[in-house]
Amino acid sequence: MAEIILKVKDLTKRYGDKTVVDGVSFEVNKGEVFGILGPNGAGKTTTLEMIEAMRTIDGGSAHLAGIDVSKDPTKIKRIIGVQPQSPAFMDKVKLTEQLEQIASTYGERVDSPQLLREVDLVEKADSYVENLSGGQKQRFSIVASLVHKPKVFFMDEPTTGLDPQARRHLWDLVRTIQSRGTTVILTTHYMEEAEMLCDRVAIMDDGKIIALDSPKHLVKQLLARGFKKAQHVEQANLEDVFIDLTGKELRT
Amino acid sequence: MKIPKVLLPVVVFAKIAIRRAFRDRVALFFIFLFPLIFLFVFGGIFGKANNVSFKFALLNNSNSAFSKQFVNSIEQTKVFKVDITADTLPKAEEKMNRGQLDATIVLPADFGVVKNGQYPSGAAQVLYTQNNEQAGQTLTSVMQAQFQSINAKYVTSQTPFTVTSKELNTKSLSQFDYTFSGLLGFSIIGLGVFGPVNVFPELKKQGVLKRLHTTPLKVWQYFLANALSQAVIGLVSLALMFAVAISVFHLKVVGNYVELAVFLAASIIMILGIGLAIGGWAKNERQAAPLSNIVVFPMLFLSGTFFPRFLMPPWLQKVSNFLPLTPVIDGVRLMATEGKNLLQIGPQVELLAVWMVVVYMIAFRTFRWE
Repeated sequence: MAEIILKVKDLTKRYGDKTVVDGVSFEVNKGEVFGILGPNGAGKTTTLEMIEAMRTIDGGSAHLAGIDVSKDPTKIKRIIGVQPQSPAFMDKVKLTEQLEQIASTYGERVDSPQLLREVDLVEKADSYVENLSGGQKQRFSIVASLVHKPKVFFMDEPTTGLDPQARRHLWDLVRTIQSRGTTVILTTHYMEEAEMLCDRVAIMDDGKIIALDSPKHLVKQLLARGFKKAQHVEQANLEDVFIDLTGKELRT
Repeated sequence: MKIPKVLLPVVVFAKIAIRRAFRDRVALFFIFLFPLIFLFVFGGIFGKANNVSFKFALLNNSNSAFSKQFVNSIEQTKVFKVDITADTLPKAEEKMNRGQLDATIVLPADFGVVKNGQYPSGAAQVLYTQNNEQAGQTLTSVMQAQFQSINAKYVTSQTPFTVTSKELNTKSLSQFDYTFSGLLGFSIIGLGVFGPVNVFPELKKQGVLKRLHTTPLKVWQYFLANALSQAVIGLVSLALMFAVAISVFHLKVVGNYVELAVFLAASIIMILGIGLAIGGWAKNERQAAPLSNIVVFPMLFLSGTFFPRFLMPPWLQKVSNFLPLTPVIDGVRLMATEGKNLLQIGPQVELLAVWMVVVYMIAFRTFRWE
């Protein structure tokens, strides 16, 4: 059995008389990429933010690496990295300074050039975030969340608004992060992304988890229920054309 | 230098905030130029107001040699300012009615004409409106005194009683001394309240604070970093104001600069607490703007920013004594222009300390990351 790093039990969040997250339970294994899928308003972000110790937990519990989130939020924040939905940084602050700032909150000094090199941003070291492209900004945001080498990395809709190349680039990055032993928990509403990246996914709707398994198993179960998709014989789609023409390798 | 881990974010955030302020042109304008503009405007108004002067029209209807000489001598005195554009009686009256002139002196056609072959004579007339009774009467007596010395040249007379005046060496506070400490207070408010009140809701909107909230950064660390950078930036800005006030408006600073800097830094940090409380609490600009106006405007008008508090009725002085900005402005004036030290302005230091505690307690409790 894999080692369990996150254990969520009956997690609940209410705003007034509206229950946004309604008794959610799941476990995440160490080193896996775990996806939470669901339409907008399903409660994905709120679920993550409770586990990240950003929001109070109204019911149930979350234990991360054995630490009770509601009891010791500061300890939790030290071992997690968070990539918020829209990366936001102060303007007129250089990338190296941003990293220095974030590292300082963990009481650490940082080797900015090395970190920036990992995400191909070393030549942008003295730029401001507002002068980066969308994909660069996203990559920078990720490296900024990893300065303290967290055990678990949360990404909230990491590829929303990115073009296909930037998205593929980001998937590679996620796999690299996983290969170093970091557990990744992400939300997305792109099914294709979940299928490509995630070892297991939980599908959320209306504040509840309605399915949880590996993408492969979920598809198998669906087929076992007698589901048949309208047949297409295309060997490629428009996205493949786009990638083929513009090139996936957008390394510079 | 080894910085304790818990203080590392404070130092790093403050350092980068200071650098950032110098990169931002808009910030530079509001931090450095804006206060100087006010200094020049108010310094220009109050800078030389120490000498009383009368502005009046001088209508000379006489052609005599004496009247010409008399007009010349009047135009050369510092106390008298002759408005040469008001050269007819209707024009002069119109300007007096608008309050632009204090009085009008009319020299009749026969003024200074030598009659009966002995000496020139004549009767000047001072006209003034009801509102300017004081100015009119002062001008009349000044003229009378002038005529007396002229009269003495033509007609010898005995003067059993005389009065002489003598200037004392001690310098009293000029209007500019009050104005300057008030402007420093205004500048501290501008930096400490309007800065964060505008910036924090924006940072919340962009999600910058939410991002910081994902890290172990504590509110007190963030506040302390803000206080530190604000104190440094504020002291540079105020130093610039001092430099201009000293070189352009002849401000005489008699106090100790180090103690003054300490007091000013504490003042900047205390007032910043008000900004942190409002900006830290507000979810958006719509909440922040009205609240900051409610808090700031009474202070601006009642703490002696634009006019000295001793001009207010006693009950208002009593109330305004306790406003946060009052000890700042009074303390600065007492130290800078009256040469008091920190121990001698105990009441101001105490009130500042009390407000510091109150303001930051509120700021800590109401702060929201998003």
